[in-house]
Amino acid sequence: MIRLKNVNKYFYKDDPREVHALCDINLTVENGEFTLFNGPSGCGKTTLLNAIGALDSIDSGKIYLDETEITTLSEQARTELRLTQMGFVFQSYNLIPVLSVEENISFIMRLRGFSDKEISERVLEISSLLEIDNKLKLLPNELSGGQQQRVAVARAVAAKPKIILADEPTANLDSKNSQILMDMMRELNKKEGMSILFASHDNLIMDGASRVIELKDGVLVDDYKK
Amino acid sequence: MFSFALKNILFYKGRSITTFILTLVSAMLFIVYVALMDGSHNSMLQNALKVYTGAIEIYHKDYRDVGGNEYLIRDVKTITDKLLHVKDVEAFSTRYETYGLLSSKEHSAASMIAGIEPQKEKLLSSIAQTLKEGEFLDENSGNCLYMGSGLVKKLKLHVGDEVSFIGGASDDSFAADIFRVCGTFKTGSFEFDSSASFINRKYFDELMYAKNMASYITIKVKNLDDVDRVNSEIMKVLDDENLESLTWKTLMKTMVKAMEVDSVFGYISLSLFLVVIFFVIMIYGFINVSSRLKEFGVLKCIGLSRANIFSLLFYEIFILSSAAIVLATPIAGYICYYYSINPIVIEGLAEMYKDYGIVSNEMPFNFDMYTIVWNIGVIYMLNFLSILYPYMYINSFEPIEASRHV
Ligand SMILES: Nc1ncnc2c1ncn2[C@@H]1O[C@H](COP(=O)(O)OP(=O)(O)OP(=O)(O)O)[C@@H](O)[C@H]1O
Ligand SMILES: [Mg+2]
Repeated sequence: MIRLKNVNKYFYKDDPREVHALCDINLTVENGEFTLFNGPSGCGKTTLLNAIGALDSIDSGKIYLDETEITTLSEQARTELRLTQMGFVFQSYNLIPVLSVEENISFIMRLRGFSDKEISERVLEISSLLEIDNKLKLLPNELSGGQQQRVAVARAVAAKPKIILADEPTANLDSKNSQILMDMMRELNKKEGMSILFASHDNLIMDGASRVIELKDGVLVDDYKK
Repeated sequence: MFSFALKNILFYKGRSITTFILTLVSAMLFIVYVALMDGSHNSMLQNALKVYTGAIEIYHKDYRDVGGNEYLIRDVKTITDKLLHVKDVEAFSTRYETYGLLSSKEHSAASMIAGIEPQKEKLLSSIAQTLKEGEFLDENSGNCLYMGSGLVKKLKLHVGDEVSFIGGASDDSFAADIFRVCGTFKTGSFEFDSSASFINRKYFDELMYAKNMASYITIKVKNLDDVDRVNSEIMKVLDDENLESLTWKTLMKTMVKAMEVDSVFGYISLSLFLVVIFFVIMIYGFINVSSRLKEFGVLKCIGLSRANIFSLLFYEIFILSSAAIVLATPIAGYICYYYSINPIVIEGLAEMYKDYGIVSNEMPFNFDMYTIVWNIGVIYMLNFLSILYPYMYINSFEPIEASRHV
């Protein structure tokens, strides 16, 4: 469960250029929810995801992951938290170019010290679910964008984190591939029960989400479940 | 992490090859250069030692600083008896040195005249081998003088000529005699060749009233590396506070100093070179890291700690330098080994360094495992240091900032 209490975030604070990127955000995301952050460009989606993902600081308010207040953690503890509790999917895939698909998927599991057996089983399971099991030996640049993004999703979910944070995962994909990716993430969410939080202004995707949160100029303007 | 590092190395070939080659070259150069420097210094010292100075010499206190007959060793036999029991002493001999005036028909010159024991001296020094004309002394040679070639020239003498000597005996009385030039020598040391002459002690002692006396006792040890240990053993055996036993390090202080200075300059020029290499390696590492900044940002986002990043960089440089060193060490080691057995011969080397007492044109390398090991250590250290700046550069970015970097 994620809880945000009166979260405020400014850029260029005390400067004529000041941007109030997040205004008093209050929000609770239950485990297993498939939540979409929606809104026009510049409304604060990325900023919010980064705050939840312990990647960026906030100026006031509190963010809890279960009982842990993540805003006050040291850098080391936040790194540890990201490693063990969260999975990230980026807009531009960001796979490790020198590692094969298989090694990319198992990267976090290796870091966390999973056994070889656990790793190979999990890689098989997750790659067949995402339909990349015949690409395991290839390097990322030998795959299409849609395939690369599925590898990125596989890497994010492989070690079974509690939360997946995905900032515009479909922005670089065509509508067909976007649809495939969303369907697969939806399925993962059902099967494995992790919360998935993602940002997008792609209306196509809204259909799949179980909950939609609308942002505008840093203010939470709408929040509804489907 | 290790295999990840290895894959990065194989992937970023430009950086890997540059780092590898630079490390290879600098490691080889470093090892060979140090071996050459140490080797030539060693051979200079050894030559100088061979010529006349002993590995260890025993003096009466103040003989070296004040001088004069009152500081002669007067109970030589007791000391030499004691020396017989020191295990690592290979040979020893006593010398009675004095300064006097040598005159031929036309010229006069001051000379250091040393009464020596010819047979023993052969074991200890290479004076006998540096014979130029005539012959060296032997046990029965009487008023035979074995003279430096420079001195002979100064006095316009030839082998067989007579030369008169005036000096002071050990009891400060006046001593004069006529010697005969039996042989001349040339060590290569200009000063020595133009001032030293030798004579059989048996004969000289009668003239100087110097029986059982000595200016000092010169000692050869079995292994020059043990000289300090043997010296302290000798001091223990002698157990006489009026005597001092000194090793060549003290006896040839000026020469040792000169070589230290020479080494320092050698190391300075070498370290300038290494610093340049270091910066090139670092810059290549830095360029590599900045081109991978986005990747590092992503890695940090998904949970790589600073320690993970550091070990990644460390493994990369470790693998590269190890590969280079593994190749460089045997090659450089073999070069050193080869030239330590077959020294490089440079014509005119002896002439150039004659003041140092160099008597050969050979330039041997020093082949020493310990030296090679510390050379390798230095190269490793430099390479490890070269990742610090790139590492700090990565950490100067917030993960999210770095991951946006393109
Ligand atoms: N690093 C930054 N420095 C300064 N201002 C920033 C920074 N990041 C975001 N902002 C500002 O904060 C506001 C919210 O930006 P954010 O990136 O969260 O929007 P977004 O909803 O993700 O937009 P998009 O849909 O285009 O990705 C914007 O006005 C933006 O200009
Ligand atoms: Mg955004």
